Amino acid sequence: MKPTSSTGVLGDFYLPGDALAAAARVRAAGWTHFDMLTPFPVHGMEDAMGQGRSWIPWVTAGLALFGVAFAQLLQNYVMVWDWPMNFGGKPHAAWPSFVPITFELMVLCAAIGSAIVAIVAGKRQAVPPPPLVRTGATVDRFVLWISATDPKWQAAEVQAFVRSLGADDVRLVDAKGGADA
Amino acid sequence: MTRPDLSPYATVMDDSQLTGRPIVVPGAGPYGGDLELPEPLVTGAKTWADVDRDICMHAEQFPTRRWWLAFGVALAFLGLLGFALMTLFYAGMGILGVNQPVSWGSFIINFVFWIGIGHAGTLISAVLYLFRQQWRTGINRAAEAMTLFAVCCAGLFPVIHLGRAWFAYWLVPYPNARGPLWVNFNSPLAWDLFAISTYGLVSLTFWYMGLLPDLATVRDRATHPWRRRLYNALSFGWTGSQRAWRHYESAYMVLAALATPLVFSVHTIVSFDFATSVMPGWHTTIFPPYFVIGAIFSGFAMVITLMTFMRGYFGMTHYITLNHMENMAKILMLTGMLVGFAYCTEFFMAWYSASAWEGFVFRNRAFGPYGWAYALMFTCNAIVPQLFWVKAMRRNTLVLFVVSILVNVGMWFERYVIVVTSLHRDYLPSSWGMYALTFWDYAFLLGSFGLFFTLFLLFVRVLPVVAISEVKGVMDPQVARGVPRPTAVAATVPAVPAAAQGV
Repeated sequence: MKPTSSTGVLGDFYLPGDALAAAARVRAAGWTHFDMLTPFPVHGMEDAMGQGRSWIPWVTAGLALFGVAFAQLLQNYVMVWDWPMNFGGKPHAAWPSFVPITFELMVLCAAIGSAIVAIVAGKRQAVPPPPLVRTGATVDRFVLWISATDPKWQAAEVQAFVRSLGADDVRLVDAKGGADA
Repeated sequence: MTRPDLSPYATVMDDSQLTGRPIVVPGAGPYGGDLELPEPLVTGAKTWADVDRDICMHAEQFPTRRWWLAFGVALAFLGLLGFALMTLFYAGMGILGVNQPVSWGSFIINFVFWIGIGHAGTLISAVLYLFRQQWRTGINRAAEAMTLFAVCCAGLFPVIHLGRAWFAYWLVPYPNARGPLWVNFNSPLAWDLFAISTYGLVSLTFWYMGLLPDLATVRDRATHPWRRRLYNALSFGWTGSQRAWRHYESAYMVLAALATPLVFSVHTIVSFDFATSVMPGWHTTIFPPYFVIGAIFSGFAMVITLMTFMRGYFGMTHYITLNHMENMAKILMLTGMLVGFAYCTEFFMAWYSASAWEGFVFRNRAFGPYGWAYALMFTCNAIVPQLFWVKAMRRNTLVLFVVSILVNVGMWFERYVIVVTSLHRDYLPSSWGMYALTFWDYAFLLGSFGLFFTLFLLFVRVLPVVAISEVKGVMDPQVARGVPRPTAVAATVPAVPAAAQGV
């Protein structure tokens, strides 16, 4: 988990493409504790920020296997071991009739688990500005945030750097959560 | 067809300019041919800020008189449902029309009907997402909400059909002090429980995932601190961080990929309730695909009904354009023809199987005492949607609305035909009988509509009815930003390839 701080610099970008180019340059300049806040996902931003592909599908695969195993164990335990019943001489371990529930539990575990993990992982890995600051990133702004926790942090220098990227409305946010123009 | 009134690369159009055909730029294609560009999905030169205002407005202002009127009607029908439920619990199942030989009646019909309605939401949100159908962004939120509410209505009926609804939890396999007494996992009714509850929960998860960024938008527009706090909690403190979007998008894709086979599995399993029995007319292998396609058909009809309301009542014509309606009409016609094909295949197989019972059931179905229901079903589902071969009909909202209602009537009668005609005349003519709905059967049917519309009207009051962040993503950024880029800033912006600008 990246350390977060309520001190940092905000800068707005006009278009998704500008934000994309800026993110690549922030990363190339060696910053690590920065984030880009956008109203919708900007494609290519993972690469521009040097994040790589999300590992969520691996979580999904693991949870799906768990769902399959749980459903098979439950149904076989009940139908073969704990409460075996004779339905017209048919086998107790009637695997074809276990398929629907196995499929449903696979989907249930994988879907809900992936959603929860994705939300938690997103919260933990984000480097957001303090919650009281209204960034406008849920409306129409593409906002760069560089946190004061970054080892390269120098307040004045950072503001100049963010301006040099083409950002509009660059502002320092102090530790109390207020924005300084 | 060239469009003299438009710039060839038009991304700003009015509703009246939409034709449902691509904008052609002669000679601009990659090999010197014509370049065909789609018409914009959002009309009326909207900016991203406009999208927020237009969509959040309905959850922020005091309800209109029209909303109260609609809500009052829905609430009255919900009250009818409550009254019917109390009467049912007090007097017992005898108040309904079910009896031997028709022991599955309106409750099972309503259950299959509502679960079918519920299919279109996930189809729109998951299947169309995987196929990159960007027009889904205008309608997916409301369609998914429709799914959830339809599943609520559907789930009600099997539970009260148990007779002793207060023991419904016995259907869940959990260690208990009754033996433990387990459910029979060979039974399609046990599969049904898992299918419906999984479908409900996964649809809820998918819908809520899509809502997260939009709840944050509502939060940031809120003026009252408690409203801000409430929506902040509901959005789990969403900031729009790209590091969160990365996992969010991946999970959304995974959910779509999981929900797609789930849509097909749910009605397949519902059809197993019938197909694994040994009743002629039910015991057929065509049932799973036949039920699934019927579900998608009826679901799209309900989406068209609701979208007509959203366009009219809530003025969403810039986001749910005629092009969206036309696309849905095309899907309705396609699925309608597939349903009609299934009706014919059933008849063919009844003859081709040379089974006397099967042949009798189908002759009785079409020409017996319930022939009127069969005729109604066939007309509404297989013949009426043929109107949509004509483009003018696909783009006429009144025609669309009427057809969508007729299709829903037809699809209710499809389930009526399947359930009732297979049961009322079985192997022994001495035990033949007829089935008639009682007042209470009608009360439950109308009451379930009351439940559905009450929930839907509450939804449009408190949550964004269009997926804001997804709609923003399909708009042209140059238009949607709304304010000109400051020139002093522009000079320092590094050159960005045009493709990246169109993200």
